Amino acid sequence: MKVIINKDVVLEGLQKVQSIVGTKTTLPVLYNVFLKAEDDKVFLTATNIDVTVRTSVQATVSREGGTTLPARRLTSIIRELPATDIEINVDDKDVATIKAGSSRFKIIGISDEEFPALPSLEEGKTYSVDQGIFRRMLLSTSYAASHEESRYVLNGVLLNFKEDKLNMVATDGRRMALYEEPVEFPDELAGDYIVPSTAVNELLKTLGAEGKMRIVAGQNQITFEFDDIYIVSKLIEGTFPNFRQVIPSACEERVMVEREQLLTAIKRVSLVSDKSNTVNLVFSKNHLELQASAQDIGEASETLAVKYSGKEIKISFNPEYLMDCLRSLTSDEVALEISDDLSPGVVKCDAPFLYVLMPMRVR
Amino acid sequence: MAYRVNRFRWGVNGFGARLIERCPPPWLVNRENIAYLARVNRILHIDMDAFFAAIEERDQPSLKGKPVVIGSPPDRRGVVSTANYEARKFGIHSAMPSRTAGKLCPQAIFLPVRMSRYVQVSHQFMRLLDSFSPVVEQISIDEAFLDASGALKAWGTARRLGEAIQERIHRDLGLTASVGVARNKFLAKLASDLQKPNKLTECPHTDDAVQAFLAPLPIRKLWGVGSTMEKKLRGYGLETIGDLQRCDQRHLNAWLGPVLAEHLRELAAGRDDRPVTTERETKSISAENTFDEDLHDPDLLRSCLLGLMEQVGFRLRKAGLFCRTIHIKLRYGDFQTVTRQVGLDHPTCTDRILIQEGMKLFQGLPSDQRAIRLIGFGVSGLVDSQQDLQQLDLFSGGDPAPKEALLDRAVDSVRTHYGRDAIQRAGRLAKGQGH
Repeated sequence: MKVIINKDVVLEGLQKVQSIVGTKTTLPVLYNVFLKAEDDKVFLTATNIDVTVRTSVQATVSREGGTTLPARRLTSIIRELPATDIEINVDDKDVATIKAGSSRFKIIGISDEEFPALPSLEEGKTYSVDQGIFRRMLLSTSYAASHEESRYVLNGVLLNFKEDKLNMVATDGRRMALYEEPVEFPDELAGDYIVPSTAVNELLKTLGAEGKMRIVAGQNQITFEFDDIYIVSKLIEGTFPNFRQVIPSACEERVMVEREQLLTAIKRVSLVSDKSNTVNLVFSKNHLELQASAQDIGEASETLAVKYSGKEIKISFNPEYLMDCLRSLTSDEVALEISDDLSPGVVKCDAPFLYVLMPMRVR
Repeated sequence: MAYRVNRFRWGVNGFGARLIERCPPPWLVNRENIAYLARVNRILHIDMDAFFAAIEERDQPSLKGKPVVIGSPPDRRGVVSTANYEARKFGIHSAMPSRTAGKLCPQAIFLPVRMSRYVQVSHQFMRLLDSFSPVVEQISIDEAFLDASGALKAWGTARRLGEAIQERIHRDLGLTASVGVARNKFLAKLASDLQKPNKLTECPHTDDAVQAFLAPLPIRKLWGVGSTMEKKLRGYGLETIGDLQRCDQRHLNAWLGPVLAEHLRELAAGRDDRPVTTERETKSISAENTFDEDLHDPDLLRSCLLGLMEQVGFRLRKAGLFCRTIHIKLRYGDFQTVTRQVGLDHPTCTDRILIQEGMKLFQGLPSDQRAIRLIGFGVSGLVDSQQDLQQLDLFSGGDPAPKEALLDRAVDSVRTHYGRDAIQRAGRLAKGQGH
């Protein structure tokens, strides 16, 4: 294969795919990016077996063909090249000669035959959604996903297509973020799809603010197709817990709080909370006091003026869990709903969003 | 004599399950008191006679007057744990192979070790001692030190107290004990061993008399002198404690090094300032295993480590404690030792978490080609409640913690009844090798 390609164009393409390239893998070819020159394009593909990302960039192709080259090294080299026009010439032994200006590199690649076959882009159940909305939904929920291997089924984001709605849910068993978007989707799409966090992160990195995205959902795999990008991911097998069941049907008390103000106050007081990581929220008439203390460090408190006329409640939360949610939202105000010190708290905002958070029990 | 805080290590572990010395008892604070008490016989060493055998004889009166051996039967591999005085007449003693014992005395009655019964009686023994003095230090299942300082007013002398204890042991437990009375622990233990069974031996209390008392005794009676050391000392012509007393200090320093020489000279002069300690606060729990041959195989190492983790978890739960920190320790064939530790988010006593975090530590150790001589696992930062704070779970049915606690409890109970290896994780069976 022999191509001439623009430096910035190819760099942008490489950056889209290379984050999926592993740092620890047993299969050397997985460190590589698969380049395939066809027509007037170069397709770039990287995979970690579970998730595959493919994009294409414009190029002048003088000889079609394909190879795989070490992804990180290739990206660094291209980033540092002095000229904008880059010539990549790969011989039949998969050695790539990269020329730009007076620079010349010879990079040893691996035959593309060793690269795992691309998952077939099967024509499954398709659905189109706005990239911006989908990204917003992912941003509002994905942080709540679990990273514990023992909770494998929670290591991703659930797409639940049900009754004219797309519910996006993530939870680690202690807090749960839910975003409901009314959408029209073909009936056969109805169901649950758990997208692993690696694919979600890839989507967050590459999704644009606008434009359509096509989702093709298969039995074990899901494909996201937008702009010049394909992301094909295995789905997490298993049954996601019944998320509806943990949403409190009604909370006894409700208070509106300035989101930014609450976020910065929690950030401040939690500076003294130690590893046990707790912040107390004390609700009293027109006051919300935040307290944190640690035996070996000291204590901190801060009072926010709020409109509150309910009963006095003192409830403890993990401050990180509260801040994760507040950071992800954009609305000026959020509603905090609570019932007592042992029942879940709920954060709501003007979007169709809900965050359920279990308190810490003080023994 | 300055009051010195001693630190001891116990058990097999090197992580140092330390027994922290309690504060000096109030009657010891005054300096003159200390000097005075150092010269008064106030320490008792109470040593039960042929403890295991005596319990069997008491429980089965038909055994009375017959030679009884507790330990492996004579037709099997194994050793004698305890022999009663009848059996000792035939030359049978502890740690002797059972086969040899069977040949020495074919009519001896061999009984298996009923450890739980002996532990039960040991508790009764300790409770009995506690009723005489608040300062009692148990040093093994059948012996203890007792500091009589506070009880002297009531009993007059330590000897009288010792006699009263012997009487009570005989009356309440139906057993006999030998008692040593002396001014310190070393002399008291030595004294109790001089006349047995059911005898009380009081050591003289003036410096000169103590020296004279010690002089004829063989050198191995000194605390810390085992068979190897005995051989070495004999090589220098030191047979009795008296030889050591007369030995030139410079020679001794040159032969043994200044630290050991000083230790032995102090003991030979009858000086020992270790106090009787009562409170035993467990600071850490650990277990380690030294391999017969240095090991390379990571699977075997992992399987052994798993066994140690289960042991430590068992002891942790038995003590009703939770740990905040876990440690692992590796010693290579060349004796270089590395340790790693990690703090946990929440105190735990669950095997799964100990194993999960411990294995992460193990995997994080630099892997090199050196063979491993010893592997150890330990926990510290012990607290008696899991946490002041507990993060509640949304899907409580999905929370593994309560189920895991049940599982651990079930496994512990199997181990309590049927032994440590009655039930084990499959991972310990790596390559058919258990530990």
